[in-house]
Amino acid sequence: MSTATTKVTPYVFVTPAMLLLIAFGVLPLAVALVVSFTDMDISGLANWGNVEFAGVDNYQRLFTDPDFWQAFGNTAFFVLIGVPSVVLVSLAVALLLARSNSRFYRALRSFYFIPAITGIVAIALVWGYLYNTQFGLFNWLLSLVGMPPVQWLSDPLLAKFSVAFVAIWRGTGLNIIIFLAALQGVPKEYTEAAALDGASSWRTTRSIVIPLLRFAIFFVTVTTMIAWLQFFDEPFVLTDGGPLGATTSMSIFLYKEGFRLNQFGYASAGSVVLFVVIALVTVLQLKLRRPDVEY
Amino acid sequence: MKSYAKAAIAAATVAALGLAVSGCTSGGGATADDGPLTVWIMGDSGANFEQLVAPWVEESGTEVEVVAIPWDGIDERLTTAVASGSGPDVLQVGLSKLRTFADAGALLALDDHLDDHPELAAENFAAGIAGEASAVAGEIVSVPWVSDTRVLFTRTDILAENGIDAPPATWEELRADAKTLAGRGEGQYGYYIPQWDSPLPVVMTWSNGGDIIDADGNVDFDTPEFNEAVDLYTGLYADGSVPTNGDFDQTQGFISGVAPMLISGPYLSKSIADSAPELEGKWNVSMAPEGSASAASLFAGSNLAVWHNSTRVDDSLDLLEYLSEPETQLEWYAINGELPTNVDALADEEFLSDPLVQVYADQLGDARILPLVPNWDGGVGADLLTALNSIALNGEDRDTALQALFDKTAEISIN
Repeated sequence: MSTATTKVTPYVFVTPAMLLLIAFGVLPLAVALVVSFTDMDISGLANWGNVEFAGVDNYQRLFTDPDFWQAFGNTAFFVLIGVPSVVLVSLAVALLLARSNSRFYRALRSFYFIPAITGIVAIALVWGYLYNTQFGLFNWLLSLVGMPPVQWLSDPLLAKFSVAFVAIWRGTGLNIIIFLAALQGVPKEYTEAAALDGASSWRTTRSIVIPLLRFAIFFVTVTTMIAWLQFFDEPFVLTDGGPLGATTSMSIFLYKEGFRLNQFGYASAGSVVLFVVIALVTVLQLKLRRPDVEY
Repeated sequence: MKSYAKAAIAAATVAALGLAVSGCTSGGGATADDGPLTVWIMGDSGANFEQLVAPWVEESGTEVEVVAIPWDGIDERLTTAVASGSGPDVLQVGLSKLRTFADAGALLALDDHLDDHPELAAENFAAGIAGEASAVAGEIVSVPWVSDTRVLFTRTDILAENGIDAPPATWEELRADAKTLAGRGEGQYGYYIPQWDSPLPVVMTWSNGGDIIDADGNVDFDTPEFNEAVDLYTGLYADGSVPTNGDFDQTQGFISGVAPMLISGPYLSKSIADSAPELEGKWNVSMAPEGSASAASLFAGSNLAVWHNSTRVDDSLDLLEYLSEPETQLEWYAINGELPTNVDALADEEFLSDPLVQVYADQLGDARILPLVPNWDGGVGADLLTALNSIALNGEDRDTALQALFDKTAEISIN
């Protein structure tokens, strides 16, 4: 009896999580894969009979659609700008915040976490006003020093940076907490030993602390990378993918094709492509990861 | 970032759930025979609408449940309702969405019912919106409800200061005046073009005597009239007469005088009167400018339709009848500021006594509805704006951008 129970126990524990994962992760993905080979649109939604098998038409169309490639390029741009910024900024801030445990520093930790827990709509509203060309704070500040107004969200190139900046600002909060938690795990003995050897603060950070944070850095990089590949909220609420598609990420492209144009088959094909890209990037990262340093 | 970012698979999830749900429900949840009649009203005028139908509720004994749907949430709401098979009984459909709703099979064909309801016949409504004019695939799926048109708003005081005595009557004059007004200084403009206004280039084409639909019903932008409209649209930007930032606020711009001319709907009069009563007498509305051929403006109202599987068709049609009566429509103008569609209401003397209304009513005579192209807003309309704005704002090569537009819209037809 006891051996049977022991064998079953772990499965009982993972079952709820597995069921949720299958119902809301694997199943939709499988449905998306099936739908991506059909011409499903809103009339097909009303009546199954209107749905027809379309083979790989959706994929062929996708790869010749300039809008898709623009969205693809924008996503690559956002990932290249966003991921290093988020990782470096949150690591730097976490290292600075970990230098003291005083009341002031503890308050600062909450302060940096606030963007992560603030609703995106509130953030969009506030940043929308900050960026506004006519009466935004940034342009008002520029006008004080005699600079002409800048079109933060209307210039196609600048809008990319403006939107990415908000996402970086919002994305660092959680990662700072992860790095702070990891910093707690750096044994005091190592830093003390380094201090006795006369290592400077910078040298200790570079040669002892950061190598020990390797796993945290890896984790943050992978999750941030996935989040930026699925970049959606900030451009959706700030620019709705504009101006002229300059901030349309893959996710926004899919949303527009699916929910605005009701082309579910086409959007599903895009979502499958996005899934494959994310899976490839993540697997590549896992493969390239070197084993942890042990001291 | 993560919550929304599942959009990648969300499309499929909704589709899957929708399919599952549509299998179980057949009648439609909100349409039980003795329950209230469900009505979807767009925008935030739900409370006013309840007030409007109160006399009908009392008389007929049928309760009405009004659901206000925000304008920018319509597409998602439609998708959910079609997928789940449970919609309202009666719904308001903006003319630009009519084709999409009808294509989705969401609207009941009314042809067979109209004989029993003579008040809903096309001749009772302003020309060009009822009956065949707004039929989709040969079926009448809606009856006119409110009308809306575009007129020219001008800050007469600013125009006068700059030596312009009367609002421009033609696009050519408008372009010249806008240039003069933009010359007032840095950060001052003459005219405002909303970057999301896809009907504007179409209206310009109409006023040149052309159309964007050819004789066979295919979308066709490759015409001299449209070409002229492109000259005008991009020319206004090239002159520096139009603000280039996408977040420009038209009401603020008009009130502050930064952009003292623009084309907009009657709702702008209300915003101006509400937020800047001190401007009273310093602004006016006039007919939309003429192009090289004639005056033209946009007819952008809303129609009412019956949901395809409503079990309350007779009650719904009774309600539509009540709503299309001239008295009801004038009452609606009084409480909600939306213009009537009924010809008798439009000719009502008291209604026309307001000089602003006189202009709107005159303009409605020259107004046309956008061609019922499938998915105008997300498809052809969006492509049109992308092409024109990329020329005007990004300095894209004109021929390349237009050729891309021609190619993209080549196989689209209203049939």
